[in-house]
Amino acid sequence: MSEDLFGATFDALNSEERGPGHGAELYERWGTLLSLTEDDEGLHLAESSERGFALRLFRGGRASFAAAGEDGAPELAARARLLVPRARTRRGARAPAPVAGERSEDGPSSRPPSPDELEAREMLTSFRRTLAATGAGHVIAREITVSTGTRHERLATTAGRRARWAVSAATLVATVVGRTPKGRHSARVVATASRLSELPLARLARLAVDRVLLPITGLPAEPTRTDLLLDSHVAAHVVGRLAPLFFGDTHAGLLEARTRQGRDGFASSVVTLVDDGKAPLGPVQTPRDAEGTPVSRTVVVEKGRLAGRLLDVAEAGRTGHAPTGNAVRLSWSEPPQTGVTNFYVDPAAGVSPLDLLAGVTRGYYAAVLLERPDVDAAADRFRLVTAGYALEKGRATERVSEAVLTGRLSDLLRGITALGDDLKLVAGAGGAVGSPTLFIPRWKNG
Amino acid sequence: MKAIAEPHHELGEDAAEAVRLVAGMLRRGESGEALRERRTVESWTANEAGLLSPSTFEEAGTAVRVRRERESLLVARPGVGPGALREAVRDAARRAGGAPFFKAHRAAAPDARRNEGTARLLGEERHSALLAATLAAAVPDPRGLSISLTVSWITQVRAVISPKELLACGSSVRLEAVATVVRESGTRTLSFLSALPYEKALEKLGSALAEAARPVSTIPPPDGEVDVVLSPSAAAVFWHEAVGHPLEADGGELVSVLARVPEAVVAPPGVDVIDDPGRRDLPGAYLVDDEGTPARRVPLIVDGCVRGLLTDRRSSGANANGHGRTPDYRRPVRARMSNLVVLAGRAPMEDLLANLGTGLLVHEVSAGSADPESGRFVLLVERAQQVRRGKPGAFVAPFALAGEILGALSRLDPDLGDLAEPAQGLAVCTKGGDPVPVGGSSPAILLRSLAARGRRA
Repeated sequence: MSEDLFGATFDALNSEERGPGHGAELYERWGTLLSLTEDDEGLHLAESSERGFALRLFRGGRASFAAAGEDGAPELAARARLLVPRARTRRGARAPAPVAGERSEDGPSSRPPSPDELEAREMLTSFRRTLAATGAGHVIAREITVSTGTRHERLATTAGRRARWAVSAATLVATVVGRTPKGRHSARVVATASRLSELPLARLARLAVDRVLLPITGLPAEPTRTDLLLDSHVAAHVVGRLAPLFFGDTHAGLLEARTRQGRDGFASSVVTLVDDGKAPLGPVQTPRDAEGTPVSRTVVVEKGRLAGRLLDVAEAGRTGHAPTGNAVRLSWSEPPQTGVTNFYVDPAAGVSPLDLLAGVTRGYYAAVLLERPDVDAAADRFRLVTAGYALEKGRATERVSEAVLTGRLSDLLRGITALGDDLKLVAGAGGAVGSPTLFIPRWKNG
Repeated sequence: MKAIAEPHHELGEDAAEAVRLVAGMLRRGESGEALRERRTVESWTANEAGLLSPSTFEEAGTAVRVRRERESLLVARPGVGPGALREAVRDAARRAGGAPFFKAHRAAAPDARRNEGTARLLGEERHSALLAATLAAAVPDPRGLSISLTVSWITQVRAVISPKELLACGSSVRLEAVATVVRESGTRTLSFLSALPYEKALEKLGSALAEAARPVSTIPPPDGEVDVVLSPSAAAVFWHEAVGHPLEADGGELVSVLARVPEAVVAPPGVDVIDDPGRRDLPGAYLVDDEGTPARRVPLIVDGCVRGLLTDRRSSGANANGHGRTPDYRRPVRARMSNLVVLAGRAPMEDLLANLGTGLLVHEVSAGSADPESGRFVLLVERAQQVRRGKPGAFVAPFALAGEILGALSRLDPDLGDLAEPAQGLAVCTKGGDPVPVGGSSPAILLRSLAARGRRA
């Protein structure tokens, strides 16, 4: 029946949708997610399955979208037809077609295997143990949730694309509490990976301990002119805020203004920014994007200079380039939009964070973010509320409970003189974002 | 929200059979229920030039929940018919059926479901015409602006099936919008939610958009200790973060700075803070919570004393006070706020500003956060005016306002504003990754000695 429903819905599209200037894309997603939560009140298991269908109709540059569960699938075409005349015509809107050399993949929907509950339980126990050891008894997890699941996706278009693929994901979310005689502090920390076994438990525990103990045990500081080391986790969130600048041509004018029509670099020459859906150890591991386009490695900034854009099919049509495989669907019920897979600063081979630390005579190491980072590319401003360590002659001298880093975003990006080799990716910007440790000498808040 | 006395026909037409199924699933020592949900959403994307693409989706699902001692189980399946409930009950019973409680199981094969869905495009053509007109009026001159906007008209119906009866939670109809407005002077984000009828909600959205599209001030805000008058809208966000979240019974009663001091005087006499899911003019309203407990008005602070806690069945069992909420049927229920209401005082705004003397008048707070353990909170201020000798002056650039909950409440001026108004800044509250619609209503308040943290990016 599953296969029939997808096939029947696609076959039911009338000849109009298959005519010149017209088109359609049918998408199906199904899968199972298992979440295991342990908190003060006990152990909770949630297992949910989903199945949804989404249809996009294209008519002379207009596009409409309708989505429904299994029961509403037969009515999707009628609903989308009702909406399409009221859409505005936009250049580039069209049904995705196969790219050169793309193979057609089709077949029936199969029931996804149940996620491994025992492995989830082991991860949960293991994180609790790692956290206790790392926090030396001062840090506990009030709540830990481990989620794992696989979603299967299938897509067919009137332009000839037939694709099916599967994406697995695992997440660990913990609310941790630091309690010392000086006070209490709690925070929520998150790790994502494509498989449970790849969740970076030790790194997350270290981050969690810093996140809740530094605000209690450290002293506030105001970074004056100082060498600055941004931990890969802190830098990753800044990089995530930059990602939308490269979505299609939306912010082309802004990028041109910031780089004086390309005469200036976007960042220093050591910075290369890429998006790669197949990056090793990237939390996102997918062969195709949400429109079925095979994902690729796309360089958007090369050695500090603007080099490319992240494009879905419509943006590619508008800009006259090939799609880069950067369409994402936040859920089956939402239309695809431009987004990231694994978006990160390319690390420098052979330079460990300790090498960077050794080069600091007097500085500050921003180890964690205490608040959501505030990055405004339009105003060319940023503000990071961090905690970390004061540094002297390559060594940490004291804990810093809060240091606000603020100034011009372009000064920060152009002031980076060295990168570590410790690329870390975190969930962000609708996919994963990452960076190695960044070194910015003689930083001055402004 | 519409009050519905009888279960929604689609979700309750098999009421007797559904109740029998849920009752049969539970064994001695277990409690639990099922939740059915149907959600229909019409959305438009738009930019500074007007509407772009329409979309619609309809989703329906069923979840069953079983609780035994310190363990609980949730199994969610698509569909709201008897087939979906049977499948969820069967799979839950299998998982809960032996030792260990969450026994691994082989997934059941899907059964054929009858067609439960009907396409409902709720006057979409009229809605889109009104929305287009609202946008054009809100942003008459889009030069220098880049707007990315999504507007959704959401209809949601829920019913809880307990072992005894089927209870309608109420139908919620609301307008949600998220926008990013970029101009050279800075980027502003807008999060909007209204439970008012469509036309009235659009009017409010138009005003909010017009406000968001105004140029951002570049005058630096103060850095350091500052006294502030919060407008009713901004004050509602403060109460939400500083009182509402710390009094959600989540992870034990001793978690937050307020829950650790029951009956203590934490605010001046005359301050009353109530969580009221019955305020149907606010977006957080419902009749019955997502566990089947009738919604109850819960006083949290009475005459300045901590008096209440918002509870669900996990935290309080049968004594839950109707605040178990979930963003959708797949997610577990947690104790959450609904509409946080602060009763008005008697001070007109001019008196509050005169009492303030020198400081800031905060008009709009776009977001906030609080750490219940330490009591630290942060409010992100989008729009504020300098006040000198009680007179409002120039607007300042966006900034962050930080404080500590107990300290801030103790320094709250006892004279509250004379008009309690629904909040514009509150929309969807996300806690632990779970977004639920919330509302708030507060008078203007005067808070002393908060920490202004310089210009935001």
